[in-house]
Amino acid sequence: MTTLHTVPTSAPSKPASTPTAWLRKNLFNSWFNSLLTIAIVLILGRTLFGFISWATSAAKWQVIPANLPIFFVGRFPADQYWRLDLMLAIIAGLGGFTWGVVGRNQPKLLTRNLLIGFGILALVLLLLPTSFPYRLVLLAIEAFTIGMIVIGKQVGNRSPAIAQWLPLAWVLTFFIALWLMRGGFGLDVVPTTAWGGWILTIFMSVVSIVLSFPFGVLLALGRQSSLPVIHWLCTAYIEIIRGIPLISILFIGLVMVPLFLPAGSRPDLVLRAILGLTLFAAAYQAETIRGGLQAIPKGQTEAANALGLNTPLTLGLIVLPQALKISIPAIVGLFISLLQDTTLVAIVGLSDLLGISRSILANPLYIGRYAEVYLFIGALYWAVCYIMSWAARRLEARLNSEH
Amino acid sequence: MTQLQPEATLNGNTANEPMIIAQQVEKWYDNNFHVLRGVDLTVRKGEVVVVMGPSGSGKSTFIRTFNALETYQKGSITIDGIHLSHDLKNIEAIRREVGMVFQQFNLFPHLTVLQNVTLAPIWVRRWTKARAEEVAMQLLERVGILNQAQKFPGQLSGGQQQRVAIARALAMQPKIMLFDEPTSALDPEMVREVLDVMRTLAASGMTMVCVTHEVGFAREVADRVVLMDSGLLVEEAEPNEFFNSPKEERTKKFLSQIL
Repeated sequence: MTTLHTVPTSAPSKPASTPTAWLRKNLFNSWFNSLLTIAIVLILGRTLFGFISWATSAAKWQVIPANLPIFFVGRFPADQYWRLDLMLAIIAGLGGFTWGVVGRNQPKLLTRNLLIGFGILALVLLLLPTSFPYRLVLLAIEAFTIGMIVIGKQVGNRSPAIAQWLPLAWVLTFFIALWLMRGGFGLDVVPTTAWGGWILTIFMSVVSIVLSFPFGVLLALGRQSSLPVIHWLCTAYIEIIRGIPLISILFIGLVMVPLFLPAGSRPDLVLRAILGLTLFAAAYQAETIRGGLQAIPKGQTEAANALGLNTPLTLGLIVLPQALKISIPAIVGLFISLLQDTTLVAIVGLSDLLGISRSILANPLYIGRYAEVYLFIGALYWAVCYIMSWAARRLEARLNSEH
Repeated sequence: MTQLQPEATLNGNTANEPMIIAQQVEKWYDNNFHVLRGVDLTVRKGEVVVVMGPSGSGKSTFIRTFNALETYQKGSITIDGIHLSHDLKNIEAIRREVGMVFQQFNLFPHLTVLQNVTLAPIWVRRWTKARAEEVAMQLLERVGILNQAQKFPGQLSGGQQQRVAIARALAMQPKIMLFDEPTSALDPEMVREVLDVMRTLAASGMTMVCVTHEVGFAREVADRVVLMDSGLLVEEAEPNEFFNSPKEERTKKFLSQIL
């Protein structure tokens, strides 16, 4: 025992640099650790070998390429796919432009890691099991996005005032996207019952999170309110919703809401699911934002009041901008979990990515291909969620380094 | 220090209408603590009144009732002829006329120095951005921070931040300035730059009420010094009299502790 506490008289030896020395120091430094290392290597190797041999011989991957369009856009009519491509191009282009404008002060916008990411994406697009011209279309959209980042940076540097028009551009883009998906006004109508796959998952998550945001802000402010009625109503709403699983809320929305409405009027299934997701997400948003509100020192409100700012101005100009900035990382986290929570709508009969996979698996041609399909959609979910959490970390780092 | 006094009294004599009249102000905190137990104070136009007292004596609470950051339950307060009641309109009218500087600066960290100063004139006084910025730049020059206008508060030293806070309050062109221990949170070497700004402000004829422990500032600039203890106003006198021949035992004890 005592020897453990003696101070070494000589300087610590230089850390070993050769691989064998590293192995000996970290993995084989005692007989027990050596045993553990060997056991773990054996188990990992066995599992990995099993997986690879399954993936290369036993697995029948044709189910993925054969149904690729269905995974992504569900039963959207094939002759109308161009509308979705156009939508993708518009959103990706505006996304790139926004990135360029917002990051105009960064010394280097297209970092090495980002270029590697784009390179991997281009490779994936090139190898997609679709027709060659269509692969070129997708590559063109990617090139367009990168181009818009560069253009956005230049335009943003020339006239920074453009930044305040971006939110409006996004709202407009949302309605254009809705029009392209839904049809009408000169386009063939595609009913929401034909929506499905990845595009439905993304659509529902984005709309729910955007709608739940203002609702969540109001709930958070209401819970902080000194008026007892508002305070208790908001607290009750938040606590009740947070105490109910999402699946129950979706069932309530799907089964019970029509009971309250006049007979014959059956609101759209997708709309009802979005309503349920929004009401659910708002309660969580409210708690996230409340955390941000509580982090703002009381002195900020006092200083604003002392300057003569009334309550709405104090909230809008001083408290909320600071509170929301603090909450951004948590809000992105919420968005990631909401994206995954949308899989629950499959249970209530919508064909989101999970739902459409289940109907593909019900096809006699692909019976028993569970592992292949679920691995594929798992990878898809992981890729999108990882990109978002990476972006959130970048955003957080930037916000922390400011002032 | 005696050279400045005639000027101050001159201001007081030419227009000695009362700006602040507090009569028998009483306040209880939510936990029934009787923090103000009937305080009277009248501040005339152009006067500088320094409020001293041990911590917990209610001095900060008292001056914070002047712009309704704290409510009071009994007595009456009249600011520049407007009675301070629970009426929200009156409160907003008074807050436009009364500037305040806080111990912790309370600058808005998400806005630049210039935006901090122009915010209230633009949103409350409804000035154009150009006019607000022009006035702000003049004020920032006056407090010696002109070259920092585009920085964020977090990039400035404590003394600089407090000078920005003074400029921010002055941008509303208030008739009265309240200072709530403006130098207590500062490093010693920065106290002076803030007091200098307050000195010039007092010399320009601003009506000021300062809660501070800076005896030098009180002797030199104040027209009257007031001692508060346990929610009561113990002594009120001219600085010379207050510091050299106080009447009350409590004042003598307090002075012996801080001098």
